[in-house]
Amino acid sequence: MPWRRPRKRVERGGLVRSSPEERIEEAAEDDEASDAVELAALEGASLDEVALGEPTGTAESSLALPLAQALKGVDLPSETTATPKARRARAPRPEIAARPTSRYPIGSLAIDDVDLRVRIGSLELRNPVMPASGCFGWGLDYAELFDPALLGAIVTKGTTPKKRPGNPQYRIAETPSGILNSIGLENPGAEGVARSYAKQWRDIGAPVIVNVAGYSIEDYVFVVRTLADVPGVAAFELNISCPNVDGGMLFGTDPLLAAQVTEAVKAETDLPVIVKLTPNAPDVVAVAMAIESAGADALTCINTMLGMRIDVRRRRPILGTRSGGLSGPAVRPIAVHLTYQVAQRVSIPIIGAGGVTSTEDALEFLMAGASAVQIGTATFADPLAPVRCLEGLAAHVRDARLASIREVIGVALPPKPSSEPDTEYRAE
Amino acid sequence: MVLETGRVVQASDIGELGTLLAIRAPDIASRARPGQFAHVRPGTGWDPLLRRPYSFCRIDRDGGEIELIVKALGSGGEWIATRRPGDALDLLGPLGTSFVVQRDTRNLLLVAGGTGIAPMRVLAEQEGDRRSVTLLMGGRTIRHLWPSDRLPAAVEYVTTTEDGSFGTRGRVTDVLAELMPWADQIIACGPWPMLAALSRLREDLRRGPATRVGRNALLDAQIAVEQHMGCAMGVCRACVIVTERGNERVCREGPVFGLGDVRFERGEPATVGLDR
Ligand SMILES: Cc1cc2nc3c(=O)[nH]c(=O)nc-3n(C[C@H](O)[C@H](O)[C@H](O)COP(=O)(O)O)c2cc1C
Ligand code: FES
Repeated sequence: MPWRRPRKRVERGGLVRSSPEERIEEAAEDDEASDAVELAALEGASLDEVALGEPTGTAESSLALPLAQALKGVDLPSETTATPKARRARAPRPEIAARPTSRYPIGSLAIDDVDLRVRIGSLELRNPVMPASGCFGWGLDYAELFDPALLGAIVTKGTTPKKRPGNPQYRIAETPSGILNSIGLENPGAEGVARSYAKQWRDIGAPVIVNVAGYSIEDYVFVVRTLADVPGVAAFELNISCPNVDGGMLFGTDPLLAAQVTEAVKAETDLPVIVKLTPNAPDVVAVAMAIESAGADALTCINTMLGMRIDVRRRRPILGTRSGGLSGPAVRPIAVHLTYQVAQRVSIPIIGAGGVTSTEDALEFLMAGASAVQIGTATFADPLAPVRCLEGLAAHVRDARLASIREVIGVALPPKPSSEPDTEYRAE
Repeated sequence: MVLETGRVVQASDIGELGTLLAIRAPDIASRARPGQFAHVRPGTGWDPLLRRPYSFCRIDRDGGEIELIVKALGSGGEWIATRRPGDALDLLGPLGTSFVVQRDTRNLLLVAGGTGIAPMRVLAEQEGDRRSVTLLMGGRTIRHLWPSDRLPAAVEYVTTTEDGSFGTRGRVTDVLAELMPWADQIIACGPWPMLAALSRLREDLRRGPATRVGRNALLDAQIAVEQHMGCAMGVCRACVIVTERGNERVCREGPVFGLGDVRFERGEPATVGLDR
């Protein structure tokens, strides 16, 4: 017989010690709860789906969109933010739903008095701060904390032609000042993405850069063709850190392969094509130059670096795929170095990425020749890192009495008489 | 879900389970539901970098406080576990889905293993005087059990230990059969092997005669699961498990799932489809 503490007599099913009002309230709550369970059983839906009133696949959209819309361009303090309908449906207790969400008080975000605009090919960005691919989903998940329209652009998770289930667990491991990840490009496929996000992207308030991944040139072209006409999509970023099925070499490690993908995608779309460099290439600068010659509009520098951690207790690698991609502050000096090297050899804009956590880090990349920065891993620790970085850049422009943020781009590069860093802002 | 700077009001040692932190965080406390979790930043810098997810172990709406069980695992867990009254904690939450206690449940059976006690304790406190609640908890030794003086008196507490130092020698699944006929509803949280054992019991029962008393309670059992997390905001897909509906994120579609929905393989969560 298991050990038992003597039970205090409780009226079966009765609501002990509660006033009539409480009883009614509790009954109402329980009603909702049991209704949800019954509905879930009937419909074969998850509880969450029932709570949200729709399949969870599209749940984020309904959750985030009214927020983005409600707040776009409105300088309201967060306390007056309207509670979105979907949230109300999700929270079974009315007293919770009645509370406004505590979003970042965008009314207090002082960035509009300074010129933070930058140009990425034909794309004019309101400011140079954007999320890094894979760290912002499809743009809507952080809307409860801040309006994605604040960002210079939104960068999506890698999108492939077909749906992909991704890699086995574990998919993430912590490292000194960084993380290793091996997600395996889990995504709903280009058509799935178009179906799920087209409506929200139209109204999201920031240009959407779709990160494209594939295992053949046709894969990249297919994704670009499928998404080029989706409203809100403003550019493509090619993730070329993927193995090419013919030969197995990473597209991004070979200048010729990288140029071929770039050329094929350029022929498919008039939207700007950004190509994302992998630091795992033996000669990153050579790859960058080949991509520029192939017609790319910009470069992102850099994707993750290969790394591994071993679980010494189990005597095997932690990640399901053994090795994974290293990101976070640990890679920042490498990313700044590569940005600095590439910036001296190409004239197309560079988007710096790798370990940006703060304004200071962003300035390092800008001064090394980047025109914009992406923030990925830092968001996992501080979801507001992109917004803080943005505010800090505005403060820097103000305090240093710059005409615009563009004045800092490339200032740390060695003097090169023939090609002075271009700090002019052209609105064409 | 909000970002809130909580203030530690009490830190108590609860044996092998770790440290119990009581934290003043009114915004989160007012929104939190049993089964949901807070994603806690280990420090203010970038090393260690990742937040740690902790299921609420107490939700005091009126007092504006929450409690979390923190194990000093890794440098991040250690940092959080060594916070003392007055210290600030950067909290993101409440996150994820929550348990649903059915209205007509008269006898609620809660099953806990290890730190899986956290959400079971919230339910015990919330449901203890509404219906008849039994908490079944298993641990390696008596030091791995939840202290009974931190449970409402109305809740019946049944325990098992692997070394027999307290309660029945064995595991929760050894005692479950005895309690199942009594239960109208079962809710469980614990390590993966425990959940896998529950899943096996469920499978046997599903195949068996439909007349078994207590059958439905296990067939419809809800569980909360753990997985390594990155963002906990649904963007990175580090936390997926395989369910009847395909890959689902523990931080969004979970951590609460139907026991029958989660796929297991050899006592562990089923492997997500291999790359390509
Ligand atoms: C969880 C995770 C998922 C990622 N997924 C992608 C991806 O799908 N496509 C891609 O081009 N880069 C991906 N990246 C790389 C990032 O976009 C970025 O280049 C890299 O992490 C360095 O920046 P960070 O240190 O700010 O994270 C991913 C990174 C992380 C951490
Ligand atoms: S932890 Fe990132 S999606 Fe769940």
